[in-house]
Amino acid sequence: MSAGDRKEERVSFDYHEPTTLREAIDLGARFGGDARFLAGGTDLMVQIHRGRLSPRHVVSLQRVPGLDAIEVDGTVTLGTRVTHRRVETTAGFQGALRALVEGAEVVGGHQVRNVATVGGNIVNASPAADVVVVLLALDTTLTCLGPSGERTQGLDSFATAPGVTALRPGELLTRVSFPRLASRSATAFLKAGRRRAMEISIVCVAARLTLDADVERCRDVRIALGAVAPIAMRARAAERYLESRPLTDETVREAGRIAAAECRPIGDVRASARYRALLVGTLVPRALNRCLERIRNPAS
Amino acid sequence: MTRIPLSLIINGQTFDVLAEPHRTLLDVLRTDLGLIGTKENCLEAECGVCTVLLEGAAVNACILLAAQCQGRAIVTIEGLAAPGQLHPLQQAFIDHGAVQCGYCIPGMILAAKAYLDENSEPDENGVREALAGNLCRCTGYQRIVEAVLSVARTVRASPEAASHRTAR
Repeated sequence: MSAGDRKEERVSFDYHEPTTLREAIDLGARFGGDARFLAGGTDLMVQIHRGRLSPRHVVSLQRVPGLDAIEVDGTVTLGTRVTHRRVETTAGFQGALRALVEGAEVVGGHQVRNVATVGGNIVNASPAADVVVVLLALDTTLTCLGPSGERTQGLDSFATAPGVTALRPGELLTRVSFPRLASRSATAFLKAGRRRAMEISIVCVAARLTLDADVERCRDVRIALGAVAPIAMRARAAERYLESRPLTDETVREAGRIAAAECRPIGDVRASARYRALLVGTLVPRALNRCLERIRNPAS
Repeated sequence: MTRIPLSLIINGQTFDVLAEPHRTLLDVLRTDLGLIGTKENCLEAECGVCTVLLEGAAVNACILLAAQCQGRAIVTIEGLAAPGQLHPLQQAFIDHGAVQCGYCIPGMILAAKAYLDENSEPDENGVREALAGNLCRCTGYQRIVEAVLSVARTVRASPEAASHRTAR
């Protein structure tokens, strides 16, 4: 008997393939906590095969129109089913929003990125989710649609524990949006792992920096950290420290020290807690410096 | 458990199967259709031995429900070249000694094909990155990378070899 057969015995569910958003929400309302929405399946199917999740109903989103749209006007909006590969290859993300590309392109291999979605990454609520860390630094707002209508919620309050979110039973995350960046802004994403590909982050850092008209002082900054707390987190003390300060070697190092002090890493098979904090202290200044370079020399 | 009727378009041919909704494409390919060139290993989208092309894109068949593939074009290693012939990638893997135990090779070749279809001027880093989702415990990857790069050169040099590309 193969491993596949053993797993099969535990698994069974009904499969639904709604063709409109309304139909998908109705199925969510009907089955509530017994249903799971299926996007790329790179997390959901693995959880089901491991026996950690056993939904009675799987509702595929693949034929629901509109959920894979990318729209850019005053805000940037990604449909929940936009894949990592789409993010990587979207021309509009190669400039100031490059951290999105840098976050997406280090997830899994091509096979995973071809199907794994932005919405799935958020709902799965892994503390190490690379793209989620970038979206946190972009002040992302989520739109959820459920039996009782549509609501929005900040990404920074969405995940509450590893694998746990504020998503209500039967509710679907339909899109994520964030404001377009102001001028003199840039983003950067850095990840530490034991190898470059197919690796869960030991630590990842995303930064978004907007400079004052003098192109020296910080007008607005976001620093987001992955894999150093039960959920992806903002380094708010480090952000506050930088507000209105000039970005110098000294101030970016200090921001790194503050971020290292405010993160709450665990030690596990991938790294010790102390090493993770050390990495935060190194990667935060490096990400800020990369933003600085990108603002001063947009072609870099 | 109710079985659902599915029409799967595999290697250009339509197969009608009845399958329980929880069954993966990998399982249906191997068990129902006897297409055992697509391999089974980790079942968690980590190793890439189950790679197939879904509408031209490399995907892991182990985490894809067969039901999700209704009406969508799938290419497995069996359909890469006409019966009795080898695709240029398959020939290059032989010529470069890129195969040892062989278990990872079908997935490796399909991932390479998806990459070459999208990149007419690939480089070594690009090939290594495109194959990062395919693990090989024997070869050390070097000859695999060389084989893929050699095909890219051949395809550029010869329009005839380019005609082996599958229509997307």
